[in-house]
Amino acid sequence: MSAEIATESATESATESATESATEDTTGPSPESGAPPLPDTTEPITILIGALGGEGGGVLTDWLVAAAMAADFPVQSTSIPGVAQRTGATTYYLEIFPVKRSRLNGREPVMGLYPSPGRVDLAIASELLEAGRIIENGFVSPDRTTLIASTHRIYAIAEKSAMGDGRFDTGHLPGVAREMARQAFLFDLPRIARENRSVLNALLLGVVVGSGRLPLAPELFQQAIREKGIAVESNLRGLEVGMALALEGDRAQPAGVGGEEYSPDADAPEENAQGAGPLPASLAKRIEEEFPAAVRTMLRAGVLRLVDFQGQRYAERYLERMIPVLEVEASHANGPGGYDLTREAARQLAAWMSFEDAIRVAELKTRPARFRRIAAEAGAEAGEPLRITEFLDPGLDEISAILPPFLARPLLRLAGRYPALARFRRPMKVRTDTIAGFLQLWLMARLRWFRPYTFRYGEEQQLIERWLSGVKKVAAMDLALGLEAALCAKLLKGYGDTYRRGRKNFEKIFSGLVENMPAVEKGNGAQAQAAAVKLREAREAALADEEGATLDRVMQAQAQEEAGEHP
Amino acid sequence: MERSFAKEVESLKLGEGEVFHGEGILAMTKALLQSGVSYVGGYQGAPVSHMMDVLNDGREILDELGVHVETCANEAAAAAMLGASINYPMRGAVVWKSVVGTNVASDALSNLASAGVTGGALIIVGEDYGEGASIIQERTHAFALKSSIWLFDPRPHLPKFVSLIEEAFELSEETNTPVMMEFRIRACHVHGSFVCKDNKKPAISRNTPLTEPRQNFDRICLPPSTYLQEQQKVHVRLPAALDFIRRRELNEVFEGEQKDVGIILQGGMYNSTIRALNQLGLADSFGKTTVPLLVLNVVHPLVPEEITGFCQDKRSVLVIEEGNPDYIEQSVNVLLRKAGIDTPVHGKDFLPMAGEYTGEVLLAGLSGYVSSAMPDHPAVAMAQAEAARVTENKRRAAELLGQTLPKRPPGFCVGCPERPVFSALQLAQKEVGEVHISADIGCHTFSTLPPFNLGNTVMGYGLGLASSMGVTPNIDKRVITFMGDGGFWHNGLTSGVIGAQFNRNDSVLVVMNNGFSAATGQQYLPSTPDKKNGQFADLSIQDALRGVGVKWLKRVRTYDVREVTKIFKEALTTSVKGLKVILAEGECMLSRHRRERVVRQQKLKAGRRVITAKFGVDADVCTGDHACIRMSGCPSLTIKPSGDILKPDPVATVDNSCLACGLCGENAQAAALCPSFYQAEVVRNANLFDRMLAGVRKGVIAGLQALSGQSGGGPSEVGPSQVAPSASEAKAA
Repeated sequence: MSAEIATESATESATESATESATEDTTGPSPESGAPPLPDTTEPITILIGALGGEGGGVLTDWLVAAAMAADFPVQSTSIPGVAQRTGATTYYLEIFPVKRSRLNGREPVMGLYPSPGRVDLAIASELLEAGRIIENGFVSPDRTTLIASTHRIYAIAEKSAMGDGRFDTGHLPGVAREMARQAFLFDLPRIARENRSVLNALLLGVVVGSGRLPLAPELFQQAIREKGIAVESNLRGLEVGMALALEGDRAQPAGVGGEEYSPDADAPEENAQGAGPLPASLAKRIEEEFPAAVRTMLRAGVLRLVDFQGQRYAERYLERMIPVLEVEASHANGPGGYDLTREAARQLAAWMSFEDAIRVAELKTRPARFRRIAAEAGAEAGEPLRITEFLDPGLDEISAILPPFLARPLLRLAGRYPALARFRRPMKVRTDTIAGFLQLWLMARLRWFRPYTFRYGEEQQLIERWLSGVKKVAAMDLALGLEAALCAKLLKGYGDTYRRGRKNFEKIFSGLVENMPAVEKGNGAQAQAAAVKLREAREAALADEEGATLDRVMQAQAQEEAGEHP
Repeated sequence: MERSFAKEVESLKLGEGEVFHGEGILAMTKALLQSGVSYVGGYQGAPVSHMMDVLNDGREILDELGVHVETCANEAAAAAMLGASINYPMRGAVVWKSVVGTNVASDALSNLASAGVTGGALIIVGEDYGEGASIIQERTHAFALKSSIWLFDPRPHLPKFVSLIEEAFELSEETNTPVMMEFRIRACHVHGSFVCKDNKKPAISRNTPLTEPRQNFDRICLPPSTYLQEQQKVHVRLPAALDFIRRRELNEVFEGEQKDVGIILQGGMYNSTIRALNQLGLADSFGKTTVPLLVLNVVHPLVPEEITGFCQDKRSVLVIEEGNPDYIEQSVNVLLRKAGIDTPVHGKDFLPMAGEYTGEVLLAGLSGYVSSAMPDHPAVAMAQAEAARVTENKRRAAELLGQTLPKRPPGFCVGCPERPVFSALQLAQKEVGEVHISADIGCHTFSTLPPFNLGNTVMGYGLGLASSMGVTPNIDKRVITFMGDGGFWHNGLTSGVIGAQFNRNDSVLVVMNNGFSAATGQQYLPSTPDKKNGQFADLSIQDALRGVGVKWLKRVRTYDVREVTKIFKEALTTSVKGLKVILAEGECMLSRHRRERVVRQQKLKAGRRVITAKFGVDADVCTGDHACIRMSGCPSLTIKPSGDILKPDPVATVDNSCLACGLCGENAQAAALCPSFYQAEVVRNANLFDRMLAGVRKGVIAGLQALSGQSGGGPSEVGPSQVAPSASEAKAA
């Protein structure tokens, strides 16, 4: 697994040599008589670059080396290339001795191969988490280090593969960076790069140059880019833009700026809203009149989604289902705070009621806006033919879901007896840009009117009612407990095996810890809190692994504990 | 090969007085040519792969000099190649990744060192230790000690690298002993310059070949010669080496005014030591030091007089020696004891016994030593303040960060053809149950990391199948072994396949045939298809397997996840006994993409019809479970905020690095994941027919959409105004 993979650069030039940037006139020592003696306290300028494979950290290093050489400064760089193309962290380390060789009288500074904590002048990170890592490793010190970092996120595998939201909370990192660095330059560079048709590493170079920490004129870097001879125009543009950013300074950025800073409730729903029409006036009015302000945003989103999903009547049913929940919350003597339970239940209920059956998927996949979005993503110019292939894999479950119960039930019973039937799947690749392919999905989407008569619709409504009554039951005892019960609906998501697994976990947790929960005396806060903790533990355990091993272990432990308490 | 080294090759041609600028590993390569080598061999591996790459790309100039370059089958073959220098006054050099390569080579090395050499024999090893290393953490030092091979550890300075390589050949010839030279990762990748000499044409070479073989029984490794050879090592070669090292001043003493203390260090530690001393106020940027230094560019053998001379009259010395065991520190103690010098020797008491000596580690160690050895020196206060400041800074960072940041373990590249095999294995295991997986060395070793976490042991390059032999008979399900095409040819065919066949082993072997030694930089393997020129032969893995009697052999395209899953299930459950081999084929995507991208860009420029493709995820169909990521781990398959207040979990998304390998679609179907994935293709420079067809389709589809009332209100048309709080609500909230 020896790893020498030169990562593929954003400028498509990582394949170039790390060594060809030399200029001819920077030969070794050429003592000039009469040069003033050098103060021996001069230290090298040290630069640490933390990047991910594929981001052009090597090219950035080459540019810096070339510029330093052109200025006749002794320079040394080294790298830990990382192991794979995009996944591993790669680090580069440079030292530039800021005295011209011609003045060194043949003396050779000793250059380091490792960054030393407390002795890093410029720390450069191509991504926010990597900036955090450089800080974590002690390489950013308030008296010395200028930190230049991009604030966008490239998620680590543990963050991506979690069954829910596994993202590491990086909200505080920009603040930490500002606190730990002498000066911090933080920008969402990929966005700026896109806007300026340049690339990340050229922008980083620009910010380095603009930060004024290197005694090297901008022309030297322009020359370095030209000599490298790859994507010269866009790299020069990036250099310019980066320098301008640095001059504007970090102050131009509001505190806490992040590439994609995220807070669920702050997200404007328009980006991905599945509502296709306007909010019906009567429903808008009901929300206004019957619900407190704190939950209206959520309810509007819910109504919009459900009108789109099944129609106005269905959305009305949503509001009707929400009213008892609101009443329970409002009835609590200690008073509803921010209506957390109602808001969360409104969110979960709307998501649940707009369950993803084949009709829904077909509907979503045949919308004009989707075609426009895909064309934009793929970079198709107007008039350029776009082909879209869908990967569908309907199995027995998906088919029986849209059959009426009198057909679905016997079919599923049969499948219980014949495993081969249960395993039936029909993988299909459908070209939705063709008339025949589009028609298949379009016709499926037209079955919307039939949905209330389908097997899955009935099943879901039944389960929703169970969930609602469970939530209401425990919320009457304690609001926090009710919130935990409402959140159990998060377990129901996905398709196929994922859906089945989630449903199994939901049944297990909800019937065990909500429906069959011994009554908590109203006002016994400790007891309610313990029950809420249990519920949360179980829910988190269900999302810890796909096999449900963690959930079984946690629920077993809980049962044992209980048995211990009440022998 | 993954990259062209044409520019590096140019710098190999530099002549007397010209200045070389470049990477350490390339400087070493140039030094070999300046030393007049007749032949060079080796096996690729970080951090020294580039030496073989550059030599392979530089055939032209090597032909001119008459230097032969051998792409050896493995490190043992490379070491054995040095046998040419036993009888003939030819200089030769070999290179590999160490310690693993040296392990493989050690049989040949023992014989080489015992026989002794006539021509200079140099072994360059990339010491893959510390940050960025991909192997077990051991020292190559032990091999030098046990085989009496002289070991250099040069001070990281390109001119020093070059002069020491030249001197190493002389030492080797004067002492009839092979010389080994170790370079750490950062030293291999260091960028610097040196003034060149002309390349030297070897006296004996392909261009001016020997006319007669030479035989000398004293050089044969068979008793009684071996007894004589051992005596020679101790009584002739060692004294000659000590004399040479001393006479040529290969080790360097840097005097300092604080004469009662001193530091003995491996050459490779020099720059970091100076930097740490500088940080403590005990050295300047040019290496002028207060504490005297003995820099060991040769770490074996140690010259007793140099050690005793440096240590006597000192109150104490510190040995800076990276890794364990502390061979040098022990030797220094013994040498001083024998000479009756009682200067205390410190080392691993102030510095860690295990792990890399980074700037931070050295700073802490030196700070400790200085405080104890020269307590009255003004630097001590500074040392302690500096050490405390660094510690405090790190503590504060940890406090502000609050928690440890998520790790970024390496993984398969975008579009890697090996990834689908592990997706398929995940699926197969769901049906047949979990099996013991014997992993091997190569890109496929990434299967042992998230998200796959597949693999129970890694025992060495090409040793995957051999390492399953003890498990196979003792476990109820069949064992699966993974081996790369690199590992297969390196030794897997003999140690694994032939061993399994011979012993009638009943297990499953997957040979990952991606066409290259991919992890090390896409070097050619015997089975690499379409090699650029005729210098290498084309061998077939399939023929090799058939040749050793493998009957159950299936070839499969790796991206066909359903087919691979089926074959896994069949191999694990069939009643056919014996070794079952699955040849999983898919060209290394890095290599394929580099090749195809150029062609595609040329076509695009020329206005010819090209189809570009990328995968995508419908955010509104995705439910945010990320099962797709758990069975892929592709860097281009990531997550983004859902933008949906009702479903706040992040959704899957495919970023622009996607190479449309097709795995997302395959997995979505093979694992019945979800209908969110789509492939979008754009026909660039479309012809008239394309445009007309697309126009008709678009028209009909738009008509249908209008018919169903879909034309007006797509998601993008819904403004936020409808759901966002009104002004009064915002106030209320």
